[in-house]
Amino acid sequence: MAFRETVTAKWFWWMMFCLACWGPYALLSKLGSNEISSYGMQFLFTLGSIPVVLVVLARQGFKLERSRKGIIYGLVAGVLSAAGSIGFFAAFRSGGNASIITTATGMYPVVTVLVALVFLRERITWTQVLGLGFAIVAFFIFSL
Amino acid sequence: MHIAPWLVIAAVVLVVWGVTAIFQKVTTNYISAESTLVLRTVGYLLVVPIIYPGKELFHHSLRAQSYGFLAGLLCALGCLGLFAAMKSGGKASIVGPLSALYPVIVVIFSPLVLHESITLLQGVGVLCGLIAVVLLST
Repeated sequence: MAFRETVTAKWFWWMMFCLACWGPYALLSKLGSNEISSYGMQFLFTLGSIPVVLVVLARQGFKLERSRKGIIYGLVAGVLSAAGSIGFFAAFRSGGNASIITTATGMYPVVTVLVALVFLRERITWTQVLGLGFAIVAFFIFSL
Repeated sequence: MHIAPWLVIAAVVLVVWGVTAIFQKVTTNYISAESTLVLRTVGYLLVVPIIYPGKELFHHSLRAQSYGFLAGLLCALGCLGLFAAMKSGGKASIVGPLSALYPVIVVIFSPLVLHESITLLQGVGVLCGLIAVVLLST
């Protein structure tokens, strides 16, 4: 019953849509990086984001919330995200396997949990400790 | 022990995106997820003057250029799908770990699309990585 409820829920199909976008995003990133430099890929990636962002902005009446902190943190997140993306494309370009690079970089919640623990004083759960253990094992295997 | 350059780069990306996620999380304390997505792209645009590769970029085939463009488009659309999943009743404790499973699609399709394969040991590593990210996102 729970399974049926889940697969008929709207959120579930939005989630599937998300995965159906992000999987090909990583595959296309590898295909593009085989030919184009990481900077070039990031430039094209930015251009690709613009149509979606324009639709979002139009739906909001071309207005953003007036929160100085929100805007500053959001911009910092954007610049950092771009820096990470450039590295993502560079890792693909340096010949690494797409499955491994996507998995390795997808483990970024490791850092998020640790940074939140140290700087935001958030508590770490036993499940997350176990997750850190699995991440260490994964990185060890990738380094072999 | 020799560590492949791509793994070093991937580790740097992991750290940078980990910190990015913190900033995004803090951002959503002040503004909506949609506005966070808009600001992320504005952040991308701020970096463009530094990274713009010049006319050289347009010497590549249209097909190669479209890969980069579509990657950006799909990544942003995926973000909207994630927000919509959250808004339409998906619990963060379920939606978060599920969204972290997108590498599974890469593992399934890379032999077909990229003609890449992984060894059994690397497969174990990928499995550990996926378990890690699901546990960390809960």
